[in-house]
Amino acid sequence: MPRVAPNLRLLCALVGCAWFASAFGAAAPSLLGKDAPDFALKGLDGKNLRLSEFRGQVVLLNFWARWVSGSREELSALDRINTTYHRAGLVVLGISVDEDAPRARDFATAMKVRYPILFDTSPDIGRDYLLEKMPVTLLVDRTGVVRYASVGFKRGDERAYLDQIRELLRE
Amino acid sequence: MNFKRRLVSITSCVGLLACAWVTGAAAQGTATAPAAAATPAASPPTSGTPLPDTPPADFKTLDEEVQGMKKDVIDLNKDLFVLQEELLFPSNTQVAVYVSMDVGTFFALDSVTLKIDNKEVKNYLYTAREADALLKGGVQEIYLGNLKVGKHELVAFFTGKGPVERDYKRGATAVFIKGVGAKYLELKITDRVTKHQPEFKIKDWE
Repeated sequence: MPRVAPNLRLLCALVGCAWFASAFGAAAPSLLGKDAPDFALKGLDGKNLRLSEFRGQVVLLNFWARWVSGSREELSALDRINTTYHRAGLVVLGISVDEDAPRARDFATAMKVRYPILFDTSPDIGRDYLLEKMPVTLLVDRTGVVRYASVGFKRGDERAYLDQIRELLRE
Repeated sequence: MNFKRRLVSITSCVGLLACAWVTGAAAQGTATAPAAAATPAASPPTSGTPLPDTPPADFKTLDEEVQGMKKDVIDLNKDLFVLQEELLFPSNTQVAVYVSMDVGTFFALDSVTLKIDNKEVKNYLYTAREADALLKGGVQEIYLGNLKVGKHELVAFFTGKGPVERDYKRGATAVFIKGVGAKYLELKITDRVTKHQPEFKIKDWE
């Protein structure tokens, strides 16, 4: 019994470290401060959009999937942000990483958001953006550098997005 | 009488003294005026004084140095790019594929997929701006890679909107021989007016 207690403590410490590392890694993706990888994707309206063509504007990239809880709330919140800040130079791009593209299209159509929704059917962009969890929201500054990253969404997170957006728009 | 003479002599003395004082004061005034006039020239210019148009020589040389450094950096970047190209894609194995578009009345380009020796090497989606640039005479390097000397097959698939806004997908194939030097191939999209259809060709630049 005295031999078991140190092992148990060591195990607990290891589990704790692993949890902390994963939680911190998810909250601070390693793309921060680096150039956002370029991509071109087809949108809901059939038009292709390329990220690099928005250089000079602040871009909010939101990677989402239909099956993620809170997707509806997040898409609605981003639509409100887009409506308010679009004229100030903000571009919101929603990127669906759903494998079932037709159902993702139906979902996006039903949501009636006014910003472009793009569909990523290849694994390349998910790999380039180191996507491990969903949803992921990134803010790209006017020079194309990732300045803010957020993993997951809960009500009220949009306030944090707004603080960052205002700061980047002022630059 | 004596009193009268004394009074006249005193009055004339006072008059002479007054004249002498006035003359002295005037002489002093003319002597200080040049000094007063010289003082502002030595002092810094007031706000009302216009500034010179040309920047000081120090700033000019600094600006020239910065411009020179910028030019050096650009030249160095160019040399590094050329060196990188030569190292990554040596001319004996280099294959480059270009896309060009002429007129475009019967075809709106959406994407191009390239396969070399039955292996997909590139899939490129075109935005409206990129397609416009091609229509204005731009030529795009869509692929740059390495291939060994010998016979190879290039297949290109073009998707987009054809005549009457219909979805359109066509392919073009070319068999080419890679020699010792670099190989350049061009995917040409043109309009065939007689058939009201687009035409897709692969041109081998010898």
